[in-house]
Amino acid sequence: MSDKSPRVDGAQPPATLDDPHLLPSAKNPKRMEALAALAMLIGMAGFAAFIVVYWINASNYWESATLGIGMLGLGVGVIAWGKYLMPQGPFVEERHDFHSTDDERTAFNAAITGRGGLEVKRRKLLLGIFAIGGGIMTLALIVPGVRSLGPKPAKSEDTEGPVENSLFTTNWKKGSKLATVSGRLVQVDDLEVGGVLTVFPQGFEGSSPDQVILIRLAQLGPNDPPYPIAPPGKTSWGVQGYVAYSKLCTHLGCPVGLYQERTQQLVCPCHQSIFDVNAGCIPQFGPAPRPLPQLPITVDPTGQMRANGSFDQAVGPGFWERP
Amino acid sequence: MPETPRRSLKARMAAPCALVGAVALVGLVVFSSGPASADTTTSTTIATTPVTGDTTTTGPTPTPYGVGSSSNGAADTTGSTLPGAQPGSVQQTPTAISALPSAGAAAAANAPANETGIIYTDLPNSFIAPGQALFAANCSSCHGAEANGKIGVAPNLQGLGAGTVDFWVSTGRMPLANTSAQAIRKPPRFSRIQTLEIAAFVQSLTPGQGTQVPIVKTSGADLENGNTLFTLNCAACHTISGAGDALAEGAYAPSLHLATPTQVVEAIRSGPGNMPRFGPGNITNTEARDIAAYVTGVLQHPNNAGGVGLGGIGPVGEGFVGLLIGVGILMLVCFWIGDRA
Amino acid sequence: MIDKTLNWVDDRLGVAKGGRTFLDKIFPDHWSFMLGEIALYSFVVLLGTGVFLTLYFVPSSHEIVYHGSYVPLRGQKVSEAYASTVGLSFDVRSGLLMRQAHHWAADIFLGSIAVHMARVFFTGAFRKPREFNWIVGVVMLILGIVNGFLGYSLPDDLVSGTGIRIAYSIMESIPLVGSYLAFFLFGGNYPGSGIIIPRFFVLHVLIVPALIVGLLAAHLGLLVKQKHTQFGGKGKTEKNVVGSPMFPTFMAKTTGFLFVSTAVIFLLGGFAQINPIWQFGQYEPYQISYAVQPDWYMGWLDGAARIMPSWEWVGWGHTIPLEIFLPAVIFPGLIFNILLLWPFIESFKTKDHEYHNLLDRPRDRPKRTAAGAAMLTLLFGVFFASSTDVMANFFQLPLMDVLWFFRFFVPLAPIVAYFLTFKICNEMRDAEGIGKRKRALIVERSAAGEYTTTESPVRPGDGHEELDAIPVPTFIDTTDPELATAAGVRRVIR
Repeated sequence: MSDKSPRVDGAQPPATLDDPHLLPSAKNPKRMEALAALAMLIGMAGFAAFIVVYWINASNYWESATLGIGMLGLGVGVIAWGKYLMPQGPFVEERHDFHSTDDERTAFNAAITGRGGLEVKRRKLLLGIFAIGGGIMTLALIVPGVRSLGPKPAKSEDTEGPVENSLFTTNWKKGSKLATVSGRLVQVDDLEVGGVLTVFPQGFEGSSPDQVILIRLAQLGPNDPPYPIAPPGKTSWGVQGYVAYSKLCTHLGCPVGLYQERTQQLVCPCHQSIFDVNAGCIPQFGPAPRPLPQLPITVDPTGQMRANGSFDQAVGPGFWERP
Repeated sequence: MPETPRRSLKARMAAPCALVGAVALVGLVVFSSGPASADTTTSTTIATTPVTGDTTTTGPTPTPYGVGSSSNGAADTTGSTLPGAQPGSVQQTPTAISALPSAGAAAAANAPANETGIIYTDLPNSFIAPGQALFAANCSSCHGAEANGKIGVAPNLQGLGAGTVDFWVSTGRMPLANTSAQAIRKPPRFSRIQTLEIAAFVQSLTPGQGTQVPIVKTSGADLENGNTLFTLNCAACHTISGAGDALAEGAYAPSLHLATPTQVVEAIRSGPGNMPRFGPGNITNTEARDIAAYVTGVLQHPNNAGGVGLGGIGPVGEGFVGLLIGVGILMLVCFWIGDRA
Repeated sequence: MIDKTLNWVDDRLGVAKGGRTFLDKIFPDHWSFMLGEIALYSFVVLLGTGVFLTLYFVPSSHEIVYHGSYVPLRGQKVSEAYASTVGLSFDVRSGLLMRQAHHWAADIFLGSIAVHMARVFFTGAFRKPREFNWIVGVVMLILGIVNGFLGYSLPDDLVSGTGIRIAYSIMESIPLVGSYLAFFLFGGNYPGSGIIIPRFFVLHVLIVPALIVGLLAAHLGLLVKQKHTQFGGKGKTEKNVVGSPMFPTFMAKTTGFLFVSTAVIFLLGGFAQINPIWQFGQYEPYQISYAVQPDWYMGWLDGAARIMPSWEWVGWGHTIPLEIFLPAVIFPGLIFNILLLWPFIESFKTKDHEYHNLLDRPRDRPKRTAAGAAMLTLLFGVFFASSTDVMANFFQLPLMDVLWFFRFFVPLAPIVAYFLTFKICNEMRDAEGIGKRKRALIVERSAAGEYTTTESPVRPGDGHEELDAIPVPTFIDTTDPELATAAGVRRVIR
């Protein structure tokens, strides 16, 4: 701490007690002292009560009340002491320039450039090697922090690796049975018109990238014409009035669990992206940029609902490598 | 200093304290939960009674659409409820807890849907005639004398079933007070019996079709199963605390704080308005009973052990309180301690 | 006694000279200089309650079956993190109080930083020589926000888990390196290998608090070295500081304030419920609740994400999801960079490179005040935009209308705010007598019916403003017996 002023005292006569700066600011200091003492006593009682309350395991309301009263009492008392009973001041201290003089700065500069410059002139080789070595050392020290992390995200062409390592694949394959999160297999008559269900491929219940929302839009039989969904070419991806879409919102990945049956819209609860199910889950409003990927589904002869293939694109939010 | 009397401490403190108090009061009133009160005993005083398995009813095996023989709902008197007490009163709070983890889920995975927990009942035929009279007087102006609806005015009620009608009328949504994007819950216009009479009439137009009025026995429910199912199927619209929230196209998912177990099951089965329809193949009767028990037993009596519930809407209310009351009070203390000029 | 101890210590450390300077240090008394203390003391409470919580919290995603006292969860498969947090709430004595006090303290910590930062901004206290301190402060704000997010994500409940999913997607959206960053941090495609909770724990408990403590030490050290700024006024110049001495006055006031802040936090923690995670349930990536917002200090990002139009750039085999990248990465990056660089932006524009130890009244710098008001309006706009669904439900308005309102309000309102504030500042400066602190007038009616007004006396504690400031007296002459009985001095008879 810089101390350039001579505070030690020959310079300053002792203050006398009648100096108004030393007087407390309270008009009735004795009364104020009594009040502060009362506050602190209440605080004391509060803390003592807290110990008792804690010991007997009373509710958290009691713990909070006693602790709060204790702290408040002490705090208010001490503040009152400081504000009303201590010397009221005001006092002043000088600010001193804390920056160095020009001479000191020049000397500092010279110390660096002088002795340093000498070495730079004499030992260029050592300096160069040290600089390069230091750079390589820095790289070497960073490597353990980064290289052990992983895994690397798989490329889009790599469909054989584990699904946990890829943003492009899911566990849905042609023939995957639809199952609920508790493992129950989904039959074709399970849902009423206007019904909605979260499904997974059997064996992968609860897996985040595989979550699919199954909606029944109409009660159609196996021989009825398929329910018309707007995207051309994807009408056959539904079956008997059922359609299935990835439940991962294409905005930020929240599960799109909110289905409005009357307006046939899926609304993402996080940021209110609205998807029109009839038009192939195209986003009508909100920040989602792409429709929810559709999963082709079919019914096998036993009535078991199955996937008829996997998604034709990566599910979930966008990322750099997504074409 | 001049000795003129200054205003008393009380007078000077009045304005700042009133301001803080007003903000605190507004915040607490606006953000406190509705009828549900903090129940600090839920977690510690409920005795664990072992469950001997789901109790079954006597008589013919129940099918999804009710018991074979008609009853007026009093077939099982041990703890059953008539099809709904007045809306707003709480059905029995479940007291027995399943000691087995998710028996419902495990059973459902291996076996066809378990039919116990809810009995669907046919309403007595004596309800039809008075129901027709009530319907003609109060509903036919919009829905038509035969309840087949008027285009652009009111939907066709034929085929919806007594349970659906019971839901709309017992929650007071029907008769509609004014046309808006969505009917809102209000005190029901009719008594319980009258409501069931109207429902019986509408059911009689298409016998055997649609949702029936359920008798819901919430004692013996698996609250944990209800919790899981509610979170998966219902929280996305109704929020995890059942507070309700706004949907697209001017619709909204209503708060569940006044629902009875009967209304919960009727809503699940009939999918009113924008709500999806969950048939027995999707949510079994036992699961629906568990959800109803969870809604009425837990959501309507949330364990607010931490204090004032602040509305059950999470960080929005908390932010207001933390900033306005927390930082606000401390700033007022700064006013006291420091100089003002 | 004090002499002997002091001699012993000073022989070894030489503290007497510096110690005396420290005790004589002057702190100006204005109330707005105490806002940073709110942040400091709520941070102290955070550390204290945080240590308590670390004794019980289990930072693991490993699944167990819940067997605690909260009935609707019994038998459910939950992570150890979630189970231990519910256990803290119901099965650990004073656990719920500590948890809630910790969470309230975090909200108040960041709220008071915001208010403190606004005070520093609007009074120009960031100018030379205090630019370093401003930067240290903004970095602490960023670290505080990050630590808050990490902290409320630790219990692995449905609401905060949704936030983690969103954070993953935001990371993923960064061009070139996004998927690598996300995979490295989480251990694979979401939800990763389950390592994220333990990693958040280490960051939240060790690394970020250590950084904050270090920066806090620098912040306070710079304050001690450069001394606090002060408003202009009687006897106050660029070359002095007028106020209370560190010992005993300021220490008393600030210690008392520590207790009062702790009291407010613990009273909130006991009576106002916050983050009741037992009601939310364990996080599962296929489950969601409606009306889910992040804690208030992250709300501005959530609001920005909601009102953003769905622009996405797709080309040459790549995607840049602008609807995420712009509101969640670029927008906060811009805001924080503007904040960090503001002292230099302002000195560049005003060409002012002088020392400033006296503060401005906000109205005396209309452009800066207007810019600050515009920034605040922008931030408030996106902050409120994060509760669009709650607002639509509460005010019974259609959801889309509320969203469209914010899409217009957020870009346009700051512009309006700028011009409005600029005008108001100029008008205030022109008006006579504004800002001069008036005394209340006491109106008295005599028996004859005549009204007289007198100025009220000075508020106790403000009387010292009438006096001229003197240097702190080191030696006080208590020998004169007459003076020893002067007003206000308690005489102790030995």
